[in-house]
Amino acid sequence: MRARAPTITPLPCENIVSVVTIENVTKTYGSYTAVSDLSLSVPAGSLYGFIGPNGSGKTSTIRMILRIIHPDQGRISVLGDDSASAANDQVGYLPEERGLYKKLSVRRMLQYYAALKSMPRAEANEAIDHWLKRFELESWANKKIESLSKGMSQKVQFIASAISNPKILILDEPFSGLDPVNTEVIRSAVLEMQRRGTTILFSTHDMGTAEKMCDFVFMIFRGEKVLDGTLDEIKATYGADSIRLRWEGTPEQLNSIREVERVIDMGGFQEIQTNGDSRRVLSQLVEMANVSLFEITQPSLHDIFIRIAGPEVLEASREEEEVQA
Amino acid sequence: MNKVLAVAKYEYLIAVTSKAFLLGVVMMPVFMGGAIVVQYLTRDQVDLTARKIAVVDKTGRLFDVIEQQNKIRNEFEIFETDEDGGEPRQTRAEFSIERVEPESDEEELGIRLSDRIRSNELFAFAVIEEDVFDPSKQATVRYYSQTPSYQTLPNWIERVVNGEVKRERTEQLGLSNEDVLSLARTVPTRTFGLIERDGEVKEENRVLTFMVPFGGLMLMFMMVMSVAPAMLNNVLEEKMQKISEFLVSSVTPFQLMLGKLFGAVGVGLTLSTIYLGAAYGMARYFEIDDRIPFTLYLWFAFFVLLALVIFGSIFSAIGAACSEIRDAQSLMTPVMLLVIIPMMCMAPILDSPSSTFSRAISLFPPATPMLMFARIAIPPGPALWEIVLAVILTALFAAGCVWAAGKVFRVGILSQGQAPSFAKLVSWVLTK
Repeated sequence: MRARAPTITPLPCENIVSVVTIENVTKTYGSYTAVSDLSLSVPAGSLYGFIGPNGSGKTSTIRMILRIIHPDQGRISVLGDDSASAANDQVGYLPEERGLYKKLSVRRMLQYYAALKSMPRAEANEAIDHWLKRFELESWANKKIESLSKGMSQKVQFIASAISNPKILILDEPFSGLDPVNTEVIRSAVLEMQRRGTTILFSTHDMGTAEKMCDFVFMIFRGEKVLDGTLDEIKATYGADSIRLRWEGTPEQLNSIREVERVIDMGGFQEIQTNGDSRRVLSQLVEMANVSLFEITQPSLHDIFIRIAGPEVLEASREEEEVQA
Repeated sequence: MNKVLAVAKYEYLIAVTSKAFLLGVVMMPVFMGGAIVVQYLTRDQVDLTARKIAVVDKTGRLFDVIEQQNKIRNEFEIFETDEDGGEPRQTRAEFSIERVEPESDEEELGIRLSDRIRSNELFAFAVIEEDVFDPSKQATVRYYSQTPSYQTLPNWIERVVNGEVKRERTEQLGLSNEDVLSLARTVPTRTFGLIERDGEVKEENRVLTFMVPFGGLMLMFMMVMSVAPAMLNNVLEEKMQKISEFLVSSVTPFQLMLGKLFGAVGVGLTLSTIYLGAAYGMARYFEIDDRIPFTLYLWFAFFVLLALVIFGSIFSAIGAACSEIRDAQSLMTPVMLLVIIPMMCMAPILDSPSSTFSRAISLFPPATPMLMFARIAIPPGPALWEIVLAVILTALFAAGCVWAAGKVFRVGILSQGQAPSFAKLVSWVLTK
């Protein structure tokens, strides 16, 4: 079963300049379709969540935006430039799989990365000093990377991607493997860059993190778009009809209620989608069994994803992840 | 181009400031110089223990001569005096000769003498057969020892016996010793370059005419072997350490490969300059610098550049295509064969640089840089059209290697898992 894109109307973005535009892009590897007929638009200055389970096509899409790989079909425009000839100095990138030159000093390595972004030496040194101070790493500037702790290395990796003060910063699973303290440090730095005008394209499989941080959300599953819009708009579309229920009755009893359209068992509670008056649902439930929780909620992104793709699809996705692991 | 230069500058500086490079540059002359110094210092460290030899002279006419010659040797030939005078010092071992009469049971005599050698009473014994003066007989001098590696003593015995045998044979023919020397005097052959109408003809130095092409070829081989496999390791290491993806988000894979190639070529040229400079210095010291034309240095620089571009791009493509060193090693094997072809063809080319084989193999582009240089270094050198053709073919081949390596690099640098087959690599090259 393949997830279908819901009928969410694209955002009215007439006043928003798009920094990344993808139109009908398809990318295949042999017989495997990584990205299928994908279209999206990243508004300038936004914190754009690019979410989906592992193996859904996020990294392939990011690599196409960066011109590391090229689409088989479709068009990609970055900052108005759709030439596929060169990587863009205005785009910073923190890949999911990260590595550093262990034998180099922190400053020397950052100078090299800045040079690759065509930064003049003096400007690069200024930026390096700023970021090392920001992350309290000044005393480590001339130490070799191999002497840094894991947390410090992760900060240096972030600095490397942000050193050129890019107009677009693409972060692929930026919090993966970070402890809570370093997660907060990086999160704060990301938000600071956004406030300064950098557009953040934030790729993650952790929908909770995306929900907390992002203005816009684009959800991809098995190479196809399943959600696209602002968080508020997505929740407004999916939110009003959700009820969280904890009670002593059975799922069969729930399905017997005419207003109940769908029941998702979340373990500790059930999530119910209705097509009618929730008061009528409550009155029927109370007649059937004891109710300990009845809450009308907006669904989380995770809930919405399950609703769109179906729990069995999520299960299949987990299996795919396990196979990949 | 700026990004290519940024990568090249980084790669070059990292390489030439590394301890490995500095040690390599400094240590090689140190090792070579050290070997000369050690040889000089140990030249007099010879075993001066006296050697006693028993001689069974079945002719009955040679022992006295041997004993007399040994007296002369022990008195004069085993001592040397320094150029600045001073006391003579012994530099060779003294011999002592013991007469042993032949016996009817030769085998028993041989066993007894062998036992004396085993008990260190004797160093060796020699049996001079009865018919050594008769040229029609195949008579020999048999030398017995338990240290066959020591050749000084048997060589001396041979020389003394043969000298006396020759003298006696010539006497029988009625010739004087002077007559014999006159008859035996050889006519030396001296080799020269061609005579110019207005130029000075120079006598050829045989050692030099061998050493220049041989040394140049070896140096070029060393440059390729120091630089190209290092490129493979460099690319593979970046891939294994997950640095590559970050790099190709800032530069295109082709720019990255080209930058690395330029950096590596720079390292190779730096090394070459250092070693050629040292070679030139030595040539000047020994006053043979005028025998090595300056254009030869330029040809070396040009061909080493092409060799580094060819093999550097191929090795970097292999590094990009593989994810593990083990996989890279199996792909390297056929390329290594290309690298060592010139080494295998060196002898026939030095022997006959203008043969059909030499011409053909020196126009095979992967081998051209080393072999065409060797041919140019051997006077009179190949025809101009051969050099021009070699330059064109090799330059085109080098450009093709860079282009194909760029294609493989682009696909391979982000690929993971098993190393691609040769057919897969070809399909990567042909991918648009």
